[in-house]
Amino acid sequence: MTPAGRDRLRVWSPLLAISGAAWALLAVWPGGMAMPGLCAASASWAASLGSASLASLRLALLIDPPARIAAGWALMLAAMMTPLLAAPVRHLRERSFAGRRARAITLFVAGYGAVWMAAAAALLALALLLRLVGGGPWPVLALAFALALIWQASPAKQRCLNRCHALPELPAFGWAADRAALGFGLTHGGWCVGGCWALMLVPLLAPGAHLAAMAGVALWLLAERLDRPAPARWRLRTPAKALRLVAARARKAAAIRPLLPRRVS
Amino acid sequence: MTYTRKNVWELGGDWADPILWYARGVAAMKAKPLSDITSWRSYGAIHGLDTRLWTQLGYLSAHDKKPAAADVKRYWKQCQHGSWYFLPWHRGYLIAFEANVRAAVVAAGGPADWALPYWNYFKAGQNALPPAFASSDWPDGKGDNPLFVTQRYGPNSDGKVFVPTDQINLGAMGDPDFTGVASGGSPGFGGVDTGFEHGGQVHGGLETQPHDQVHGLVGGGDPTNPQLPGLMSDPDTAGLDPIFWLHHANIDRLWEVWRENPPAHVDPPDANWLKGPANVGERIFSMPMPGGTPWDYTPGDMAGLPPLGYTYDDFSPAAPAVQPAARLTNLGVAPAVAAAMVRGPAMASAKNVELVGANQGALPLVGAEARTTVKLDTAVRAKVSASLAAAADTGAPDRVFLNLENVRGLSDATSVSVYVGLADGEAPADHPERRAGSLSMFGLRKASLLDEEHAGKGLTFVLEITRIIDALHLAGGLTADQLDVRIVPTRPVPQGAGITIGRVSIFRQGR
Repeated sequence: MTPAGRDRLRVWSPLLAISGAAWALLAVWPGGMAMPGLCAASASWAASLGSASLASLRLALLIDPPARIAAGWALMLAAMMTPLLAAPVRHLRERSFAGRRARAITLFVAGYGAVWMAAAAALLALALLLRLVGGGPWPVLALAFALALIWQASPAKQRCLNRCHALPELPAFGWAADRAALGFGLTHGGWCVGGCWALMLVPLLAPGAHLAAMAGVALWLLAERLDRPAPARWRLRTPAKALRLVAARARKAAAIRPLLPRRVS
Repeated sequence: MTYTRKNVWELGGDWADPILWYARGVAAMKAKPLSDITSWRSYGAIHGLDTRLWTQLGYLSAHDKKPAAADVKRYWKQCQHGSWYFLPWHRGYLIAFEANVRAAVVAAGGPADWALPYWNYFKAGQNALPPAFASSDWPDGKGDNPLFVTQRYGPNSDGKVFVPTDQINLGAMGDPDFTGVASGGSPGFGGVDTGFEHGGQVHGGLETQPHDQVHGLVGGGDPTNPQLPGLMSDPDTAGLDPIFWLHHANIDRLWEVWRENPPAHVDPPDANWLKGPANVGERIFSMPMPGGTPWDYTPGDMAGLPPLGYTYDDFSPAAPAVQPAARLTNLGVAPAVAAAMVRGPAMASAKNVELVGANQGALPLVGAEARTTVKLDTAVRAKVSASLAAAADTGAPDRVFLNLENVRGLSDATSVSVYVGLADGEAPADHPERRAGSLSMFGLRKASLLDEEHAGKGLTFVLEITRIIDALHLAGGLTADQLDVRIVPTRPVPQGAGITIGRVSIFRQGR
């Protein structure tokens, strides 16, 4: 392995492990799905606006109090977003004193996480609003898809993606270093929310299969992060590089298969 | 047939046959329209293209038609910088360009064995621009020498083009490893392991010096407009200057010299290097050969000259032979022990790269000098000291690197010398022993744009300062809490160049 490859692996391995553990927890812990669950529960409320449905929302909040919803959201972030943080975490690790690396990364994650937790409230409000105006679950999902598609094609989305690739200079000593790491987390979090919010609405508004929807969105977000920053303009954006990388791997696997010994039946 | 690339200063005259035929070949390529993928400007665009800059410099007009879209996608904007593909990609680029010039030469009745000359600015008396490039007149005409370029301003941006020999060096030739890291330590002789990389943040050793530096010194900048570079100073215009190809032939030659001296220097064995970015689904390296036939190649195809059918007239060591044992002897290790140590495993590449100190706040680079102070972390500095003091036991003292991080600006036409550890009243010119190195900001403009490939990160330059740190250690121990760093531009930097250095830092690389 090359020295730079070793540097990359040093950061990728723990991030993937954290993400994997979070996905596993989400799969087994019902609280992990509290927020999409709440959105789904609100569907009937929104559809009829009747007192019985209002009661069902109250019941949903009773089963999943805000703290549980927040914990579920945090777990979802850990699962979906941790792999997206490889470049900034590497930057913080490499450009901080060895003795301050953990602290710098913690502050960055705190800032980044704070922005996303705040965004959760806004996303929840938006999801409920879409429920109100959208009618049944399928029209609402179609609305969420349309919104995501428009945002995905917009120059603003490209600008957010581009800023997610920024790696600023970091003061090395004292409070200045701490402030910079926290500030980097806040800024990075802001651009990340800007880039991802529309896609995140999709699993929130899906009537079911939340985990699968989240996994799909997470893969898409990771894939589009692999593409280089590009001029901001309207265009249908596909994660071209990720698709090429996957295709190349598939081609290689196909080329190797005939060489493997055939199983005797 | 094996083609031999010869030293341009030793061809036997300013307009000896190989250079005259080169000029005629260039003229033939320049006569083709941009829409021809093998035209002069199209070959320049394979390296890089910036529509605004090309238009400003008079190389693109509204009447120009581009080649077929598929050809543009396949060939243009392909150059590899800040990457371990820098050397192999440029080798293929040179071979294909040379083939196109040769085809034009042969078509005009020239020699079938024509090969590109190289410019070895390191050789005594050969640092001036070869005369065939310096005049607008040539044997075939007045005022239309195809090798002459007005936007070639030289180190002082006054039109006098030469390479100041005190500002170039062959330090990279001593780097034992082809590839390295982007994390503050050595990026290696050939650059950092990347994917397809049209402009990476950290340039490799040979790429930084002499490659980038010669680009900047020869190109210079327009003295009337600080944001307008000489053609050679910016990767998006460099391929338009005919001297580009002689400079790159020399860089290509130095790769071969590195491989041969000592023979222990080897190219990366990794599949991702050998097979190139196309192996993992990224863009293929491809060049249009005469007639427009595509030629695809991998870095592995470029390793070794004989199979490629060309050679150079001189592979003698370009710099005094590097003696890794000399450093150990200097640090007090007995010569016999030092010689044994450099053959042992302790000298294998050190894996730990760690920040030792940094300045505070971004540093604007304006005028004749910029100064800053790098504060050192006491504990890490002690680690460096201990490793130097224990050289006799371990045989592996730390290497130390100065980083100019997140350098951003509007003009690539800036070259600087960097000094470390000068006292307040000391003049840099009087202390060459404190010079960490010199560099040019090749690729800076593009790397500073927010909505381009670099996302505005700028460039990060890495200079090895092991020699200076060793000297400070030997002169009474490395005890200072801080080290002064001075950045001295070759010519004063105008405000309009907008250059800032995000952070100046020092890293150790060791065990």
